[in-house]
Amino acid sequence: MIKLENISKVYRTKEIETLALDNINFEVREGEFVSVMGPSGCGKSTLLNIIGLLDEPDKGKLNLNNLEILSYEDKKTARMRNQLVGFIFQSFHLIKELNVYDNVELPLIYRKTPQAERKKRVMEALEKVGLVNRMQHYPSQLSGGQCQRAAIARAVAGDPKIILADEPTGNLDSIIGHEVVGILADLNSKGTTIVMVTHDEMIAKSTHRIVRLFDGRLVG
Amino acid sequence: MLKNYFKIFIKVASQNKLFTFLSLFGISLTIMFVMIFSMTISKITTGSGPEKNLKKIVFCQRVSVHETHNGKKVGGFSISGCGRSLCEDHLKNVKNANIISMYSGPQPWEFIFNGKYQSKLQNQTDAEYWNLYDYKFLQGRPYNKEEVTKSSNLAVITRSLKELLFGSDENVLGKTVRYTSMNLVVTGVVEDPPKTAQNAMGDLYFPYTLIKNNDPTEEYLGGFIIAFKANSSKQFGPIRNEAQEMVARLDAADTLHSVFLSGPYSQVEKMMVGYGDPEEYSVGTSLFKYLMYALAFLLLPAINLMALNFARIHERGEEIAVRKSFGAASRVLRGQFLFENILMTLTGGVIGIILSYLVVAFLGNSLTLRVNFMGSVPLSFSFNYLVFIAALISCLIFGLLSGYLPAIRLSRMKPAVYLKGGEL
Repeated sequence: MIKLENISKVYRTKEIETLALDNINFEVREGEFVSVMGPSGCGKSTLLNIIGLLDEPDKGKLNLNNLEILSYEDKKTARMRNQLVGFIFQSFHLIKELNVYDNVELPLIYRKTPQAERKKRVMEALEKVGLVNRMQHYPSQLSGGQCQRAAIARAVAGDPKIILADEPTGNLDSIIGHEVVGILADLNSKGTTIVMVTHDEMIAKSTHRIVRLFDGRLVG
Repeated sequence: MLKNYFKIFIKVASQNKLFTFLSLFGISLTIMFVMIFSMTISKITTGSGPEKNLKKIVFCQRVSVHETHNGKKVGGFSISGCGRSLCEDHLKNVKNANIISMYSGPQPWEFIFNGKYQSKLQNQTDAEYWNLYDYKFLQGRPYNKEEVTKSSNLAVITRSLKELLFGSDENVLGKTVRYTSMNLVVTGVVEDPPKTAQNAMGDLYFPYTLIKNNDPTEEYLGGFIIAFKANSSKQFGPIRNEAQEMVARLDAADTLHSVFLSGPYSQVEKMMVGYGDPEEYSVGTSLFKYLMYALAFLLLPAINLMALNFARIHERGEEIAVRKSFGAASRVLRGQFLFENILMTLTGGVIGIILSYLVVAFLGNSLTLRVNFMGSVPLSFSFNYLVFIAALISCLIFGLLSGYLPAIRLSRMKPAVYLKGGEL
């Protein structure tokens, strides 16, 4: 489902160059739930951004869903992100001006899904995370756990094959964190491939496989 | 999608009240000025009161004469209105026009009446003048061609002048009005033309022949406007050609002078060209000049709004990053930002339109707009779909000018930066 070959990424400023990823070779099979671990600044988020086509590698090949990414043309990557990938972020990143329903609807709007179909899918996604009764609430009216559940609903509303979760439990207490991982595990059991960045060893151990990064290199 | 954008617009506008106020303030004031200016100009150019056929009339009001020697311009030159002889002997013979009238146009007339200083306007006209414009006669009749030819001491006065001079007297026909050393017999009383009827303005009208031509040797220059009324504006071209050919013949025959006639121009063209040197000010250059003024006028607040938009880009960074993550292409994001900006400018436009009507309704008589040398006209209210469209187009130009560059910058932002809280 995901294949990275010799992927490298360097961030350049006027003064310094930072090697964020150094010759990464890494594969995730369809239906796998993989944790990415490593200390802060080791390149975990960069790896996720490259898999999610939010960033472009300087070197190497990326293959998503048996399709090699040859061009990072804006319209094409936007379409692939929309149809193939669902993102979950540590800080939820719900649009604060929109209520839960409108936030979850977002990927379907960009897919130009008809309204009736959109409504059905949003309701299904909200049911999966148990947030139907909060769909008219705004992010500021929700707890951290509820925000993350809304973010998960947004990520799954478009029924993506891949979910990329960047420290989804990082801002939650352990009980809520395990609840969120439970929802992800449930999605994975239904066939969704998940790559999750986490600092929590316990949570990482509950996934199929752990990949460790250090200074931009794969170490295990 | 538009519903989604609209919700965002409403939320963003209501959350950042200072930005919204600053944006709307600039836009609505600009649109208010555009509306007031356009409405007043529209009233002057489309005609009001006696000028209901203004769109079918073209005017010559400027002639320039250079002294020449051996075909070359030498010495000084004079610019003035059309001369009596030029009008009577030449331009009045233009065949493509239905009605041709020569008149002085509104001229100051100052006098003391009952111990009080009065400032009024007098207009010296021919008989055709009364067919050219549509005055509403309250009493009597206009003077006719024969009476003009005979230099009869007759006058037509307005209702306000009648009330000033004769008070509550009902019938004033046959009574006399003193103008300089002449006693003019009133033959008719007309409704006062509105101040927006810039060509037909006046309080006292009398035959132009009453003023003797002091300088009969001056063939071309004088104080007259000559107006040609056509069936439609399609006749303007032939009228213009005929008039210009007449003047070209005069010019060719005169070895001592070079003569240039400005026009005939429609009301809009006449206002654009103004009273400058007719050889220098063409409609094209004037139009370009005014378009540049208009653009500069719109550009300043647009740049102000653009700067505000640029300053706020980072506020929207997280939202843009999220939208990109879930499939929004840069083009779609540019569209969203432009849509929001155009909504903002249209809101400002609506406020500006309402303000313009309020300003005209409450302050219209005390605020005036200067129109070339024709004097000042009060700000006028007139709903004209062209003016309305002009205001809408101004809003759109505003929205596009102020939104386009920030929208490009916004759509090019790297989502990864904002998803990690501003640092990678």
